Amino acid sequence: MSILDRARGCLLGLAAGDALGRPAENLEPAEIVRRWGRLTEIEPGKGGTDDTEYSIFAAMLLSRHGSRLTAGDVARAYREEVVPLVEGPMRGAGFSELGTVQALRRGLEPPLTGRWHEHGWSDGLAMRAAPYGIFAAGEPGEAARLVAADGAVSHSGEGVYGGQAVAAAVAAAMAGAEPDETVAAGLAAIPEDSWTSRSVRAAADIARRAGGAEELHDAVVVRHYPWTDLAPEAVALAFAAYLAGGGDVEESVVAAANLGRDADTTAAIAGALSGAGRGESGVPARWAREIGPVRGACLPVVAGRHVLDVAAELVAARDRERPEGI
Amino acid sequence: MTSGDRIRGAFVGLAIGDAAGWPAQRHRSGLHAPWSRRLRRELDEFAEKHALTALPVPFALNQPVGPLATGPSDDAEWLAWTAATIGRDRAEAFGELAGRTDLRVRISVRSALDGLAAGRRPPVTGHDNPHFFDDSAAVRAVAFGAAGLDPRADAEVTNAGDGVLAALAVAAAVGTAVRGGDAEQVAAAALAELPAYTAIGTAARIALDVARAAGDPFSAVPELDAALLDHVYSYGVAAARTVPVALALTVASGGRLGAAVPAAACLPDLADSAPALTGALTGAIGGYAALPAAWAGAARTLAGCCLPDLAGTDLLALADDLRRPANDAKSRGEA
Repeated sequence: MSILDRARGCLLGLAAGDALGRPAENLEPAEIVRRWGRLTEIEPGKGGTDDTEYSIFAAMLLSRHGSRLTAGDVARAYREEVVPLVEGPMRGAGFSELGTVQALRRGLEPPLTGRWHEHGWSDGLAMRAAPYGIFAAGEPGEAARLVAADGAVSHSGEGVYGGQAVAAAVAAAMAGAEPDETVAAGLAAIPEDSWTSRSVRAAADIARRAGGAEELHDAVVVRHYPWTDLAPEAVALAFAAYLAGGGDVEESVVAAANLGRDADTTAAIAGALSGAGRGESGVPARWAREIGPVRGACLPVVAGRHVLDVAAELVAARDRERPEGI
Repeated sequence: MTSGDRIRGAFVGLAIGDAAGWPAQRHRSGLHAPWSRRLRRELDEFAEKHALTALPVPFALNQPVGPLATGPSDDAEWLAWTAATIGRDRAEAFGELAGRTDLRVRISVRSALDGLAAGRRPPVTGHDNPHFFDDSAAVRAVAFGAAGLDPRADAEVTNAGDGVLAALAVAAAVGTAVRGGDAEQVAAAALAELPAYTAIGTAARIALDVARAAGDPFSAVPELDAALLDHVYSYGVAAARTVPVALALTVASGGRLGAAVPAAACLPDLADSAPALTGALTGAIGGYAALPAAWAGAARTLAGCCLPDLAGTDLLALADDLRRPANDAKSRGEA
């Protein structure tokens, strides 16, 4: 399977997961069962959310700067392409993005911009980490290094670890790693003594012995907190769904979406991992048909871009630096 | 002035600040029957639906009016609990609260208690915690600072990162005040615990600059809001905001509680704990005897609205207990 095929599968899987999980966001698994039985079909014509659009933004940064990408480059891109639009057409920004915008407006520089606000641990970096794994296919450590440059602008601590775990795992899956190896590569990129590592390991154990949604939630969900975008939780649920689905795109993405919580993000991550492993043909055609150019609703600067074109640009950027391939 | 009077000032000063912030009445209405609070939420909906600017306040319909009078709430109760358990292993003391269903606690504390109940230990309970950055440990650190003890083990049960640094800073500040330090020395002791590369260290230095430039605490309020508050997140309890405000207003007031606490209460986002922390610092600097008598009278007795076992507890007695011989061994060797 070619790198380009895997890259297309990865971003198509991400976009499909984003779109499938969208209506299940913040719902309890029981409520999902009540509404859909099992949620398997993308709502026609609705498309994805911030997960897809911010992933395209990250891919644009990589296409521009390649492996020389620094936190300073990312901060400049925010200042020029995000901050001016935040009170105009931009919608769908999470706490971490808005907190970052406020920190940048104050003139702070990374990594302080990612520490200034309270949502350093959000899954906002994990949701857009897949392009780093595509660019650094087969090199999980390099993927984790690059995504940390992006994360230093908007995240700190567990939020950066969540992004690193996803980027490194995608990099492994892009080189053909099986699900167990892929999750191991994600874990190897972050400190063992971290919340994200503890959550991913607990969730992976449950998934491997086919534990249910309730058991997974008990293990990794913070029960007395109203927001669902904690990276340690979202990344753990996404990896568990990917393991439970055996790396199959449809099974993995459906498993993630039906776990609820930050379902668009967890399903997008499960889609990126499984899509990188199975390639474009692994993504159900009925889902692929629902993925068009993004509208730029969350991030106007990416309006009109299609994930398949973005995948090709990422691979071209990679080839410029690594003509020898993996 | 004696150090005992300053410890009393720290405790009752914290309770005065706690009582001065608008959330105190909300917390104290927790003593009412649940249906009365449900009615208030419905009136909130009613105001929204009918586009009314008459906003509902906590009210007593067929309920006692006492809890709605000016008085202390969560911060004062947690200070009292900390003082009463200060000689004990912290995980053990908190562990006795895990599983209790009659407590009202912060998100950081709830998550830590859940962690303890699930078999996790500190510092994981404070680290794997969505509100690791809040100031719940900083509030408890007033007791450790007054007793001359290290607050870290206590802080790590519920907090990490900025939340633990805040506790170290508050304990250092209160300790300095109890030994006779002035406002500038108190702020310097706190800053020494707050590295510039952290959010709390950055914000503390910004807040102090802003407050000094403003000249007096009330004048500093809009500038502190502009310099520190993003108004993005749904809760205003980040230690990286409340502790810097408390330090800044302490300095801007020259350590005078009567000037600093009302200014802190004018920042609604931070009104749950910034006034309390400000009251603890300025109360410790000025001592109990200098506190406004009516406020001290209203604030020294706990309601039990969050930790019901503490209903009726006198903070003054707890402050004096902190200095009894049984506690001397713990503070031996402390400056």
